[in-house]
Amino acid sequence: MVDAVVEWSIMLALVLLVSAIGIILGLAYKGFDRKITAMMQSRIGPPLRQPFRDVKKLFMKETIIPDSAVPWLFNAAPILALVASLVAFAYLPLGPFEPIMEGYGDLILLLYLLAIPAVAMAMGGLASGSPYATVGAQRELVLMISYELPLAVAAVTFAYNYNTFSIAEISSQPVWNTVGIVGAMGFILILAALVAVMPGELSKVPFDQAEAETELAEGLFVEYSGRNLGIFYIAEVVKMVFVGALFIALFFPYQLSNFIGLAGPTVPLIEMGLWAVLVDVAFFLFKLLIIIYIGVSLIRVAFARFQIDRANYFYWGPMAIIGLVGTLLVVLENTGI
Amino acid sequence: MNGENGAEETTYEVPIGPIHPALKEPFLIKFRLDGEEIVDAEPHPGMNHRGIEFMGMHRNPMEVIPLSERICGICSIVHQHMFTTATEHALQIEPTNRARYIRTIMCELERIHSHILWAGVAAHEIGFDTHLHLTWKIREKVMDLLEYIAGNRVNYSMWTFGGVRRDITEEMHPKISETLEYYEKTYDKLENIFLKDPSIKMRTKDVGILSKKKALELCGVGPTVRASGVKKDVRIDQPYAAYGDIDIDYVIPSRYGFEDKGDVFSKTVVRLKELLQSIDIIKQCVAQMPEGEITSEPKKAALFNKLEKKDGEGIGRIEAPRGEAIHYVRLSEGREDIDNWKIRASTYNNLPTYAPMFMGEQIADIPIIAASIDPCIGCMDRAEIVDIRSGETETYAREELHELSVEKTKKLKEEGI
Amino acid sequence: MPTQTIYTLIKQLLKKKTTNPFPVKYTPDNMHDAQELIEEGKLEINPPVEVPPGFRGKLKYDKESCIGCQLCVKVCPSEALVFTEERKVRHYVTRCTFCGQCVDICPTDSFEFTDEFLMAGPEKLYDDLVLNP
Repeated sequence: MVDAVVEWSIMLALVLLVSAIGIILGLAYKGFDRKITAMMQSRIGPPLRQPFRDVKKLFMKETIIPDSAVPWLFNAAPILALVASLVAFAYLPLGPFEPIMEGYGDLILLLYLLAIPAVAMAMGGLASGSPYATVGAQRELVLMISYELPLAVAAVTFAYNYNTFSIAEISSQPVWNTVGIVGAMGFILILAALVAVMPGELSKVPFDQAEAETELAEGLFVEYSGRNLGIFYIAEVVKMVFVGALFIALFFPYQLSNFIGLAGPTVPLIEMGLWAVLVDVAFFLFKLLIIIYIGVSLIRVAFARFQIDRANYFYWGPMAIIGLVGTLLVVLENTGI
Repeated sequence: MNGENGAEETTYEVPIGPIHPALKEPFLIKFRLDGEEIVDAEPHPGMNHRGIEFMGMHRNPMEVIPLSERICGICSIVHQHMFTTATEHALQIEPTNRARYIRTIMCELERIHSHILWAGVAAHEIGFDTHLHLTWKIREKVMDLLEYIAGNRVNYSMWTFGGVRRDITEEMHPKISETLEYYEKTYDKLENIFLKDPSIKMRTKDVGILSKKKALELCGVGPTVRASGVKKDVRIDQPYAAYGDIDIDYVIPSRYGFEDKGDVFSKTVVRLKELLQSIDIIKQCVAQMPEGEITSEPKKAALFNKLEKKDGEGIGRIEAPRGEAIHYVRLSEGREDIDNWKIRASTYNNLPTYAPMFMGEQIADIPIIAASIDPCIGCMDRAEIVDIRSGETETYAREELHELSVEKTKKLKEEGI
Repeated sequence: MPTQTIYTLIKQLLKKKTTNPFPVKYTPDNMHDAQELIEEGKLEINPPVEVPPGFRGKLKYDKESCIGCQLCVKVCPSEALVFTEERKVRHYVTRCTFCGQCVDICPTDSFEFTDEFLMAGPEKLYDDLVLNP
């Protein structure tokens, strides 16, 4: 009984710690994204700590609830979005650290947790009673069912390849080591499909139809202000880091300490020594940087916003086909035909 | 909202404006939507009326020149030119030949800057902010040149009655040709971006189509109708300034191997190709520029007397970057101030073309279609008559307004004024 | 989908930025302190952009040569020039639109443009925001 209480409190403390790390990392990477975007557009850009200031400002501002809104739903939506993004963090391996909630959930649960912020945003949009937000919510839902298809295809392929849905097991061995040339080609296709899903998942250009500044004046968030908007902001950046970390767990779970000989390949964390852990953490942050640069910053500035029907077509057509071909190749390899 | 109980319930209204990120100026368009599809669009101007004509009628012509260039920030040269030529027409004085060429060069430099600016705004409207920054970076060069010639970045204060106030001297030629070379070089880049980029093509092709028939019926002007294949350009139809001496042709997409479709893509083609045309015109002007005075009325005090004593009316007509625009000026003897001043900016003609362009398109296409005519609401805005007790708005046709004014005159006569 | 745009973007990442820098890179937390630092020479500020030749900046008025003909008052579109009792002209800088018509029309060339364009002041009639007060 006492053991269980201690175990649970340790887990709770760790979850809170990981949440704090997630928020800080998210805001920091948001700052990086804004700066590098500005630099690519030949601008100077804001300082790296700008997102922290933004959040601080938003939390100081008055929170306005429009008369036409449904107050409880309107207020609950941002919290739901934030909680779902933060909880998802506890199921992911972060660099050298194993997931905290190891054994309590798997890839399927992660897919659901990924969907919740989008649903919460749509709910909040519908609850705010503005025509712009309503259109935005409709678009968000359409977009969600669009990108879920390639995402589900990718998840199924991983589960098939490893014979498990457990994230820890999948990331314990890099996917490229488990398959031959044909299978690797299949996973490259799946990687491409997932890179295309990333901006849709994070509502970034070219798939930011739900917010679409010039069309809907920030769509879903048009009625949100103050603390509520701040929470949405945090949820968004946490989700960005989460998706990046998921990419790393699925495709690049390499640790640098093995290569430079600071620690053996299967040494448990406790025996690794401080330097090895630091090197791994730094390498993890670097991988995250690269993934966010390619998946968010570069795509964001290099394409125009799609119309919603074309976005739907893009995910259900080319991207789903690419994903399915990838799956087929992996299956071909595994069945040995 | 998506119920199936008849057409009434499936549509809903979304107002775009008066303040909206898709519009750069206060303007209201009420859209009736069916899902994502537009079934009705109703423009409501009158949010940005500044009463500039009225202000002008309480000032003398010399004071109105700086006022006229502040009608529009983008095409300040255009309005300045129209007002000056209209007044010159009323006074029956002629600008000198050298001034005509300088005016032409300035007009074309402004066209370059206006079209590049439009390209950036159009890219922003479809969510492509990178190209907004890229095009505006390219635009800086021509702004620098305008600043170099006129002294300031916007509001050039170059025009005066009978000519211009600043000369384009020999020593300015290297900088002009350097800038033109830069644009010739970057033109390929612009064309690559706007005519070949897959995501821009996807958003502009077959969007906001204006057929040639509709373009002629609705009497649109400028690149908006040239994209539909209508050959209409004041510079060729009724040459002003030095355009009579210069070799130019109508810029329509079919001349360059594109389709005269009238969609946003064709409008982009027209605007981009006009950049090349402008560069060509400036080159011709610089080469042919005659020697001589820059103004036919160097004595400003004498000109001032003339303005007071002359009776007459005049019209200034120009092909602005956005299309044809007209100023009408009437001066009367013994009165220092302008008697009447009427401005008709190009957007006023192009606004009715919104109706056929919006019909059947998606919400996502509203910003780019709205931007495709390059609207300048501040230039064209009219007052709207609103009953403040009921909030109803009314529209008066010309005849009704005429009747109203006849009635008022009668009433005033009866009262013995 | 590698496009021309991506190539341009990566090239621009490494090039010099086009934006003209602000006097201080990022807004200081306290403007007053920053001003003091600048006066002490501890904080360097980016100089403003250069002005072109023939720039129409703040006017310079030569009171001595003015003959009080009032032509400038007549052509001023924004009523920035006011005729005073001593038969000279007073110029309100905050109202001026820098069209330069007074410079053109003045028979004695009493008006002249300067390159000065930093004309902010705490109020409309502050120190040198009125010429010939």
